[in-house]
Formats: sequence, C-alpha cells, structure tokens
Amino acid sequence: MRPGLRGLTIGFVGAFLVATAGTGVASYRLALGTIERLVDRRIENVSALVDADGARFAPSRLVARIDALASRRDTGDIGFLLTDADGTRIGGNIAPVRRFLQGFSDVTRDDGIAGLSAGRAYTRRVGDGMTLTTIAETEPFDGYRGTRWRIYLFGFGSIVAIVLGGLVIFTMTIARRFADVRLTVEAIIAGDMQRRVAVTGSTDEFDRQAQAFNRMLDRIAELMEGLRNVSGDVAHDLRAPLARLRSRLTTIAARSSGATRDGIEQAIGECDAILGMFAAMLRIAEVETGRRTAGFARIDLAALVGDVAEAMAPVAEDGGHGFAVTVRGPIGIVGDARLITQALVNGVENALRHTPAGTRVTLTAGIEGNRAIVTIGDSGPGIPAEQRDVALRRFGRLEASRHRPGHGLGLPLIVAIMRLHGGTLRLEDGEPGLVLGLAFPLGSADQNLTDASRP
Amino acid sequence: MTLSLLLVEDDAAYAETLAEELRAIGHRTTIAAHGRAALTAINEAAFDAIILDRMMPRLDGMSVLQTLRAGGMTLPVIMLTALSASQDKVEGLEAGADDYVVKPVAAIELHARLTAILRGRGWTNASADTLQAGDIVVSPATFRAWRAGHPIDLAKLELKLLVEFVRNSGAVLTRAMLLERVWGYDFVPDTNLVDVHIRRLRIKLTEAGGEDPIRTVRGVGYMLRE
Repeated sequence: MRPGLRGLTIGFVGAFLVATAGTGVASYRLALGTIERLVDRRIENVSALVDADGARFAPSRLVARIDALASRRDTGDIGFLLTDADGTRIGGNIAPVRRFLQGFSDVTRDDGIAGLSAGRAYTRRVGDGMTLTTIAETEPFDGYRGTRWRIYLFGFGSIVAIVLGGLVIFTMTIARRFADVRLTVEAIIAGDMQRRVAVTGSTDEFDRQAQAFNRMLDRIAELMEGLRNVSGDVAHDLRAPLARLRSRLTTIAARSSGATRDGIEQAIGECDAILGMFAAMLRIAEVETGRRTAGFARIDLAALVGDVAEAMAPVAEDGGHGFAVTVRGPIGIVGDARLITQALVNGVENALRHTPAGTRVTLTAGIEGNRAIVTIGDSGPGIPAEQRDVALRRFGRLEASRHRPGHGLGLPLIVAIMRLHGGTLRLEDGEPGLVLGLAFPLGSADQNLTDASRP
Repeated sequence: MTLSLLLVEDDAAYAETLAEELRAIGHRTTIAAHGRAALTAINEAAFDAIILDRMMPRLDGMSVLQTLRAGGMTLPVIMLTALSASQDKVEGLEAGADDYVVKPVAAIELHARLTAILRGRGWTNASADTLQAGDIVVSPATFRAWRAGHPIDLAKLELKLLVEFVRNSGAVLTRAMLLERVWGYDFVPDTNLVDVHIRRLRIKLTEAGGEDPIRTVRGVGYMLRE
C-alpha cells in the first residue's frame, strides 16, 4: 500500500524536526568544541613559552620566566604552577588543592583556585623532573553557553514554527479546495447537475484544475441533456400517435359488441400499458431535472402513508392479499407530497403485483435516528441480493418477473424520487420476501428548503 | 350537448387530429395556431369553451388566459401541457384555468372534463351544504350520505368519490379525473385502484335495495345517473 497524504505529512514533519534538531545540536557542539580547542591551544602555547628556548632550565630560571609571563598583559590571566618531582610547589601564581594529570584536564571550583570557577589546565614535565601546569579561565565562555542555547532555541525554533505554521495553512488551503470539489461531486451525484467547483480567480493550479473539472461537468451535463431529450422526445412523440390510436380504438369499441369488443378493449389495455410506461419515463426525466424541488414544502409523511394505505387497502383485499399498516407519526419532512405519494403507491403496487394471493404485504412508517423510514414488505419470492442492482435499473426487469404485468420502471421511479428528496431506496431481504426501505432526511433541516429554492 | 370550442394549439398536426375527434363527438371546433390568433377569434365569435395549449409562440397560453380573465371573460378554459411540467399546473389553475390536462389528451377525456365544468358551473351557485342526485343525498361537511332516506356507511374515500359523482351526476367522469379529484393523484396507478373503490361504493349503495346508480362507460369512465 502506498503511504497516504497524512503519512507523508507526518513523515516529512518528523524528518524536518530531526534534521533541524540535529543541525542545532551539531552546530552548538561544534562551536563549543572550537572554543575549547582555542583555549587548549593558548595554554599549550603559553606553557611552551616558559621553557621555550632551552631544554633544561634550572628551577629558579623557570620561576623567573613564569613571574615575567604572569605580569605581562597578554598572558596575565593565565595561572601557572611549577612543582618538583614530589609535587612540592616551587613557584607560580596559583595553589590548587590537587595535582593535575599530565595533558589537558578540566578545572572546577573544587580545585580551590581563588577566583576561578571553570577552566582548562595543561600539565607537562619541564626541566629535570619538574611539572608545569598552565590554567586558563573558561568562565566567560561557559556563561556564553546559556546565551548560545537561547540563540539556537530561538533561531531553530522560529524555523520550525514557520515551517509547521506554513504546513498547517497549506494543508488547510488544500483541504478546503479539495472539500469544495468533494461537495460538488456529491451534489452532482445527488442530481444537482448545475453545481460547479468555485474558481477563486487566482489562476493557480487549483483554479486551473477547477476550471478543467467544471468544463468536464459542462460537457457531461450537455451530453446528459442530449440523452434526456432523446428519451424524453421519443416518449413524448410516441405518446401522441398512441393516444390517437387509443381514441380510435375507443370509438370502434363503442360501435362493436361481443368478442370483437372484448378484443378491442384488450388492445386499449395494451395502449394504456405503453402510455403508462411513457408516463413513467417522462416522470423520471422530470424528477431528474430537479425542477420539482420548486414545489417542496413541509409535509407529514405519516399522513401521506396513511392516505396511501387507505387507497391501497381495498386493492390489496381485492387481490386476496393481507395488508398490515403500522404508522407512527407525525413525521415532518420536506418534499413534494404528490411525488412521494406516487413513490409509495408504486411500491405497494410492486409488492402486490409480484406476490401470490394469500400472502401479506406490510407498510410501516416511523422515525429512526435522524431519518424517516418507510418500509414496504411482502412475503413473495423476493429478489436475490446479486440481482437487486438490476431491479433498480431502468427497464431492469428480472427474468422471473418478465411474464408479469408492469413496465420495469416502478422501482427506478422510486429511486429518482428518493434521490430528489436526498433520500435512498434500499432493497432488503424480508426473509422471506422483499422489503423496500425508503429513507428520507427529517424535515427539521432548513437546508432542504434552501437547496430547493436554488435555481 | 354540442359545444362551440376554440382549440388553441401550435402543433398543426396534433391540433387537426384533436379537432377531428372533437367534431366526431359532435362539437363545433375552430383551431387557432397561436395566442394572438386566439384573441382575434374570441373577439369575432362566441365560444362555449377554450382548449388552450400552454407553450406556444406569439403569446403563450398563460398570457392568453390572463388577457381573457383580465377582460372579464369567464368562459371555461382547459389548459394543455407537456407531461414533464407539473409545476405549470398550479400556475395555470391560479391564473384562472378551469382544468388542466396533460398532452396528448383524448377527445373523449376533454369532452368529459368540459361537460363536468359546464355542469358544475350551473350548480355551484346553489346551496352546498348537502348535494342531491336522484335519490342520493350527500353532506360533504359531515361525511354522511343517504340513499332513499337510508343512511349509508361509507369510508372516507368512498364518500369523496360519491360527492364527486353527485356533483357531476349525468356527466361521465374519467379515471384520470377521479384520480385527480378524489385521490389527488397526478399519475395513473398500475392497479385498478379506481375500479376497486367504485365496486365497493356500488355494493354499499345497493345494499338496501334499488338499482345500481353508477353506470360504467366502457373505455372512458363512470357516470352517476341523474
């Protein structure tokens, strides 16, 4: 799996912090080391001056040299100590309480040198078995250590702050623009083909991206409009001759009798079925344009379900079906009462049509969480899970139902109506049978009304 | 009943077919191809009713309707509209149309609607507390009905159905008209919803004797005998 954006960001920030801290610590230590080395070289050099031009001076000669150096302005701050082989002090201007080891070592307050709290010592053998120690104060540098820390903390801290702050602003900017694209995509999925990504006018990459995206949407909308017009035009244009045919048949039927009349009336029934299919196609097209949201109002879904139950109960009874209705209301939603009624009637008709007489159809309405749920259940053969998508598609009639009446547009029309209302249609297993689950957002959302009033 | 009709429709082929069908039913029908021609025709001759297409070039149906109503012309107007424009219906009725039908409409359907409008107009001026047709009396306000003096126990929809029949007794009500007026549906259900309810209404109306007052007009709809 490739790392996500969050992983990349965390990795980047981590690497940046490690590198910055590393650089800070390294340069701090380097600076400190450099100062230490300079001090060491100085005391080594001064130490060398004591017996610079002769290998084996007598002690008195060395003491005189030391005194001379101690009184010179450029070396006056250096401490000297000359001891014999036993460690007894011969001369110098300091008297530490301990003996220093050969080579370089640190001097602390504990070494008992008056007025010195931190320093470096260089100890070596001089003359015949004597030992010379030169000491320089490092106190000012050590005080500088704190200042230095602050400088590093401030310097590198501000770099870290700038980079992290920039990162946050950058991330938020990107997130906002991505969110805009995502909201647009979701609005379009919901059927609002007019929605476009905002263009800020800054002509940056995001703007160019947004413009390209919008051009793509324009093109898709154009193609969809074309398709819609084609199917709409076909349905619309075929309705006129069909209606003419129907009225001719009606006229003939009125003049005929017996078997002829029955035959003609069957033909009229066929005409009605085709007209019904076209009406459903045109209604789906109308719903999909989203224009119907102009008629959205606050309605009581429970009352609508009750009305549909009242209308459909005799039909169910007539077909030998049991019909059980459970409505818990009121259920306030925002929508088009006529369309929702049509969806409900379609759903109940679908259940009645696809189940044998003697079985039961259920209709329920209630609130679950923040959604209004209507279910229409039957105890017929149901639809296998893998075929449910097909059942929701236009003309997606299942093989098993092809011999039954109906035009295969009932469920797609419900889907379109639900989508217009920001809701969903789910096909569930009634164990046995099929359950249509219609979920509407509850109407407290003023959002729906605002959306509805958008052109 | 022979009516003098003005059909205002810009689709010449459709207008001609519909006019022919209306004439076959017995109505004198004049065609106007657009709104201006319609207004001219109305000034020149008297019509009993106008069938007005909503979408037309040169003054659309809404404008014609508004002009007529503003000029105090109260003759019945039925608006025609394309199916995918349900919102138009509300606007049309608000602007003073008497009825609204979706194209393509059969002449017999238009005839039924025109008859209902003309009969309804004659009668709405009378008292509206109880309505009577033959030996049937209904009181829409109290949800009660009687036949030959016997009370009939009706479900809410059955009562609405009966009220619609009594109001239009002697006129044919098509299934589409009943679906609109009784159920409030602007679509035709796949099931025989209307027929099932009418069957129940018939049973209840004839329970206490008497012949079936509702006549089935095959292929068109139902009618309550006067």
